[in-house]
Amino acid sequence: MKPFFELFDHTADMGIRVRAASLPELLAPAGEGLYAVIGDLEPGQTAEPLTIDLTGDDAPVLLRDYLAEILTLFDRDARIVTSIEDAVFTEHRLTATIQTATLDAQRSDLHREVKAVTYHGLDVRSIPGGFEATLIVDI
Amino acid sequence: MSQAYKGPLERIDETSWRIPKSARPGMRVDGIIYADDVLIEAVRQDQSPEQVANVATLPGIVKHSLAMPDIHWGYGFCIGGVAATDPSQGGVISPGGVGYDINCGVRLLSTNLTLDDVQPRIEPLIEKLFKTVPCGVGRGGVIKFNSKELRRIMADGSHFVVDKGYGWKSDLDMTEATGRIEGADPDCVSKRATERGHDQCGTLGSGNHFLEIQVVERIDDPVAAKAMGLVEGNVSVMIHSGSRGLGYQVCDDAIKELRNAPRKYGIELPDRQLVCAPVESPEGRRYLGAMRSAANYAWANRQIMTYLVRKVFAEFFETPAERLGMSLVYDVAHNIAKMEKYEVDGKMTELCVHRKGATRAFPAGHPELPDKYKSVGQPVLVPGDMGRASFVMVGQPKAMDSTFGSCCHGAGRLMSRGAAIRAAKGRSIQQELLDRGVVARARGRHGLDEEQPEAYKDVNQVVDVLHKADISRRVAKLRPVGVIKG
Repeated sequence: MKPFFELFDHTADMGIRVRAASLPELLAPAGEGLYAVIGDLEPGQTAEPLTIDLTGDDAPVLLRDYLAEILTLFDRDARIVTSIEDAVFTEHRLTATIQTATLDAQRSDLHREVKAVTYHGLDVRSIPGGFEATLIVDI
Repeated sequence: MSQAYKGPLERIDETSWRIPKSARPGMRVDGIIYADDVLIEAVRQDQSPEQVANVATLPGIVKHSLAMPDIHWGYGFCIGGVAATDPSQGGVISPGGVGYDINCGVRLLSTNLTLDDVQPRIEPLIEKLFKTVPCGVGRGGVIKFNSKELRRIMADGSHFVVDKGYGWKSDLDMTEATGRIEGADPDCVSKRATERGHDQCGTLGSGNHFLEIQVVERIDDPVAAKAMGLVEGNVSVMIHSGSRGLGYQVCDDAIKELRNAPRKYGIELPDRQLVCAPVESPEGRRYLGAMRSAANYAWANRQIMTYLVRKVFAEFFETPAERLGMSLVYDVAHNIAKMEKYEVDGKMTELCVHRKGATRAFPAGHPELPDKYKSVGQPVLVPGDMGRASFVMVGQPKAMDSTFGSCCHGAGRLMSRGAAIRAAKGRSIQQELLDRGVVARARGRHGLDEEQPEAYKDVNQVVDVLHKADISRRVAKLRPVGVIKG
């Protein structure tokens, strides 16, 4: 299954639906979905890689926490993820090394601010050929 | 995700509807939704009534789980939700009952400028505001604060920035809680939250946040309007923003920290976005300390934008802001939890009142009101949409009995952002607004499309419901003539 994301409607906010062949492969399209809500983001200079190491009750919460991490990276440091390496994503742990770049503000087109990745409607489920996740972000 | 509500909604009277506590197991009190026959049909179209029922399951909830007529689907609590819990009965506090944008709120400035003074030059005035007041994604504030000052902002809110010269002493009295809620504890705020908020104080943000120039189109209550300094035909300025990244992170941190609290305290929840802890628990107190810090930050944020607006007007009209009559009418929070006293079973009881997309609406005589409003009641600011109208209302005694002194916070969203963008295809919302006499500027590509007037309920209807219910009464109708969006 080719990694894929789509945005869906939610009254005041926006939803992200993601599909991939495995849990670790959900990370990239989930991040792309988050960025698509924010705008058309273009990377600038390469920045420091970052190690992600999260523990949690279940896969949906871990995926949410991962997106919350990269949202903070964007909001606080104007940095975006360019690639994900060595991702391990199980029911209770998520680890990865993420390569990052600064945001090229000149070439980017920012649409809207994402306040947070919520727990509302949060889900990761097994589907034929892989996994599907849904997340709703607060605008 | 569009799912209509199929559960019971019993009509109580022409302005309110009940979800009986028998509707589902676990509800401790009834749900009450304020709406008329038309608005209730929109309410049925999503799961917001289900969220009213979910809130009714919270431990220690008192009287009812309430929703104002601008109700729409949120996360955890619905938007427009009000719930009070009794800490002495194990009552809980839930960050989901406040929302991510802690102390998102509205303030209104009056002026003695008439529409004739402003309208011929509205375009350059809006341009100047757009250039001066930072708005949109990633825009930092023009006034910088170091980390020591940021702590002072979290502890002292508007008081700190007014002392620094970014406002008038009189602004403090005209701000809910004087712009500084007691009990803030910056030590409860994470490093990450302060990092997200460190350069955002004095910025508008994006989404539904706005800065609007309006004209007082109609006065409904001359006595209250006079007390508020509102004169028909005069221009006012409304600012809608909150606690920016600092508040978002405080909420995110709290929900994370409270994930295990329901298990620890034996609380069963129908939605994990409703995570909560007893008010009188270490987790509850910690969230209160952090949430109050973010609330103070939000008041300082709106205060600094007030300073920038006055500066723009003074330069533009070459007249000091004092001579332009740019007094603060009032500033209200609409995403907050506060300790307030209400009569429960004949006894005055201190309750934790959650308002998520709901505005405090205290009546005349309430001890928390400034002298100026003691005889008329608290101004309630109800922004509508950028094409139709906003309202100033005033709290009524019935609000204390029925809604924990609360009123609606706006028109309430009707259309999703995606649907609004699709509906705007092939149209220029900016031109349509101009045709209606509103000059609009937005930073984001879809800002005006997503926030187009049709995306919201008709604020006239929303306000009518609470006027008829005698929760709050109309004082003045404000019509937009210029708006900036993030």
